[in-house]
Amino acid sequence: MRIQLELNGDRTRVDVEPRDILADTLREACGLTSVHLGCEHGSCGACTIEIDGQVARSCLILSIAAEGRPVRTLDGLAEDPVMQALKQSFHRKHALQCGFCTPGMLMIARDMIRRHDRLDEATVREGLAGHICRCTGYVGIVDAILDAHASLSDRHADSQADNQAGDRAGDRADHHHETRRAG
Amino acid sequence: MAEQHTLEPDDHAPTTGWVGASVLRKEDARHLDGKGMFVADVIIPRTREIAFVRSNMAHATLIGVTKPEGHAHQVFTAADLGEIDHLTAGPEIAAFRNTVYPPLAEGRVRFAGQTVAMCVAGSRAEAEDLADQVGVDLDPLAVVIDAVDAMKPGAAKVYDSWQDGAFMTSAVKGGDVKAARGKAKFSVRRQFKMARQTCNSLEGRGVLAYYDRRLDELVVYMSTQGPHVMRMALAQCLKIPEHKLRVIAPDVGGGFGGKNRLTPEEIAVVALARQVDYPVRWIEDRREHILASAHAREHWYDITLHADAEGTFLGLEGEVYVDAGAYSLWPVGAFAEASMAARNLPGPYRIQDLEIRNFTVATNKAPLGPYRGVARPGACFVIERMVDELAHEMGIDPMDLRQRNIVTAAELPYTTVGEMVLDTGDYPASLRGAIELINSDAVRARQKQGEPDGRRIGLGFAFYTEQSGHGTAEWTRRKSRVVPGYESCVTRMMPDGTVLLLVGIQSHGQGMETTLAQIAAHELGLKPAQVQVRHGDTGISPFGFGTFASRSIVMAGGAVAKSSRQLADKLRAIGAKLLQCAPEDTTLADGQVMSGSGGVSFAEIGRAAHVRSELLPEDVDPVLEEFATYEPSVSGGAFSYATHAAVVAVDPDTGSVELLDYAVCEDCGTMINPLIVDGQVMGGVTQGIGTALFEEIPYDEQGQPLATTLAEYLLPCASELPRIRVKHLVTPSTFTEYGVKGVGEGGAIAPPGAIVNAISDAFKETGAFFNTTPCTPRRIVAALDAARDAHSSHEVGA
Repeated sequence: MRIQLELNGDRTRVDVEPRDILADTLREACGLTSVHLGCEHGSCGACTIEIDGQVARSCLILSIAAEGRPVRTLDGLAEDPVMQALKQSFHRKHALQCGFCTPGMLMIARDMIRRHDRLDEATVREGLAGHICRCTGYVGIVDAILDAHASLSDRHADSQADNQAGDRAGDRADHHHETRRAG
Repeated sequence: MAEQHTLEPDDHAPTTGWVGASVLRKEDARHLDGKGMFVADVIIPRTREIAFVRSNMAHATLIGVTKPEGHAHQVFTAADLGEIDHLTAGPEIAAFRNTVYPPLAEGRVRFAGQTVAMCVAGSRAEAEDLADQVGVDLDPLAVVIDAVDAMKPGAAKVYDSWQDGAFMTSAVKGGDVKAARGKAKFSVRRQFKMARQTCNSLEGRGVLAYYDRRLDELVVYMSTQGPHVMRMALAQCLKIPEHKLRVIAPDVGGGFGGKNRLTPEEIAVVALARQVDYPVRWIEDRREHILASAHAREHWYDITLHADAEGTFLGLEGEVYVDAGAYSLWPVGAFAEASMAARNLPGPYRIQDLEIRNFTVATNKAPLGPYRGVARPGACFVIERMVDELAHEMGIDPMDLRQRNIVTAAELPYTTVGEMVLDTGDYPASLRGAIELINSDAVRARQKQGEPDGRRIGLGFAFYTEQSGHGTAEWTRRKSRVVPGYESCVTRMMPDGTVLLLVGIQSHGQGMETTLAQIAAHELGLKPAQVQVRHGDTGISPFGFGTFASRSIVMAGGAVAKSSRQLADKLRAIGAKLLQCAPEDTTLADGQVMSGSGGVSFAEIGRAAHVRSELLPEDVDPVLEEFATYEPSVSGGAFSYATHAAVVAVDPDTGSVELLDYAVCEDCGTMINPLIVDGQVMGGVTQGIGTALFEEIPYDEQGQPLATTLAEYLLPCASELPRIRVKHLVTPSTFTEYGVKGVGEGGAIAPPGAIVNAISDAFKETGAFFNTTPCTPRRIVAALDAARDAHSSHEVGA
């Protein structure tokens, strides 16, 4: 059957079978091989994508269930400032070795940064539960996420200061204040 | 750990050159954009997918296979695959019992998950549908699931004709252990078990094979650590001339040892590609990986450590059983496990009286292969637990006992009873370094004070040495079928002065595209950005063995240094002519041959060497391409070493363990790239933590594996781990290029010893004994219960 996906901002029509999982459709039908399959049962996080603005494991979603919903993969985030900062930090902090878990790690990292005004190591580690990296021991990944978050906060604070000379401390001093920005 | 000062590959060279610089990795960019190219990402038009039919019984006679009606042409059994030479796998030792491991079962299946048939269809799902319809007629046989029981008289057998259950039985002996036993004041005897694991690289195995008509060659994309050696083996068993077979390992998503063996699925896929006119591929799923890829570890030990009244170690004796599974994987099976475990059991201690009988036992499980650390995680776990057990018996601090017995810097080089020559370093300094790094005094104070939540704090240490970069002497000593005695490199300068390195190793996370470029840049006066590394493709690089056994920076790094120096000589000869000076008066820097104040760029030399041969000196041939092989002058190995320290908090009621802190004081000689060394150490430690606390493939009595998904086979995540801290000591090797030693495996060796020692320390006064990995909550509670029962029955008895 033919379904329509809103894939990385473009309307795409693809042929799928009712049993196809979204990860296979993205990889095989759409050629988006940034979506990696490490376990195909929702344990490793390598296939993490964004659907309706929420991160999800594309191995656990049927392709037909994605009909008409906005789907974003790492490929569609080349211009995203959070993703750009994350890539820079992942590089600087040696947060990847073989590179197989990396797309999924970047997707969950971006989600963490968007949802948290404040991030500390414990929160990042908890947020990475269910994302498996077999190479790095996670230290580089944790550091990269904290580093990207800090650099984006600085940038954010600078632009705030430029625009309204606002109260920097008051803006982000609250603990564990989460803002979920869907879509 | 200080913040790393990092450099980009196109930054200016540090004054000391590129060796030792934390250069950020050249391979990062493609992976960060999701543009890595793993086997499953390679698109060849018309590719059809393979699913295997696997045995659902652990041990059975294979009576027959029934193909689904109308689909016979899509189902292949052993009889359909054409002629295949079954390669002899195992060491070249007469006493080793060789077995035949057919790519698809012939007459018998010996483990649950063994390949019986293969199905081909347009998609994997359709191929799996077909596989479900294939009938496999099996007649069950008695099952062997325990290596120790398998060696008892009358036990069921995996191979009917064998006298007993072992592929091989041998002994490592030295000195006079009987005399040591006689002199001993303390003789501590303990049993240990290390569970069965699999490497669980995040990318599983994968093969894509097709015939390229234009080139008249069979092209095999394969997720492997050593494409050249795999090509050699595939060519032999499938009778394909090697010049018509090309093996490409593209991006490989982790290997850790498991992808350094030729497995039946790989042979079957390539065999099929010989006879069909469409490309075929098999991408392993996680269930197949846990079920049937190379398994690892599963050792059982019964060991006695003898010591005098002062705690001086006198001798070590006992037995090691390795559960090798049903077959031997090419080239050498699992034979090195038992002998390496035995040879490494004395650790870094002055123990010259030793007798360890070892048994490599066949069972109805997937065959064993290497996994990061090979045998040494078991040996280190056992000797380091024994040290703590003896210290406990003597009532002294385990670290004092280690200091008393460990080989000192002044005693190096030291030949162990297992005939390994520990070369350079300062082992006692590493012990002290770890004590300091973990802040032992503060941990002891916290332990004494007690936790408000009732958890118990424990502190444990473990030391290891890691043989690395070993060559001909060591591998021939092991009677290895393939002797990885060297590595190779072509350093090729292009007409514009940029450089290609063509190397025989394969990099799958180790960052060799960066570190080898650093070495060439160091030798040639270039930037790493001007050096491109090509690896993993038999079509473009010279023969080499691949990346395993902590060898690549020693072997391939040495080959790059050697071939780049040869090229440097040629550049200087040509440059000297163009500069009208003597070659001895030239140096290489900033992409130029320099003499006095003048210089000539590599681009000018490249132009002369390739398209303007009239400019060359008379005795210099055109083209800038130098080939070298390299092996260190001592081929018994350069020994890295480290002390690991772990702090745990354990809940005595639930047995749950929290790792509060983990520190490593290590020495791998000169570091080409300290950032990458840290990554290797931390990654290794994390895998070792998995061994210590989480990972296990248990089997039931019918030989059915009880872990086949990541829901049962638990891998460590960031949420279970502390920040791993690393301190480096640097004692250069005296016989390798730049003084490097290998570091890939070491991190994985010591965590079981350090962590289980810490758990043991937390419950020191209870008398509980922790002897099994993974040290799960259930096992901890069971050990505490057993100690309580023993104590109360003792009281009743008194």
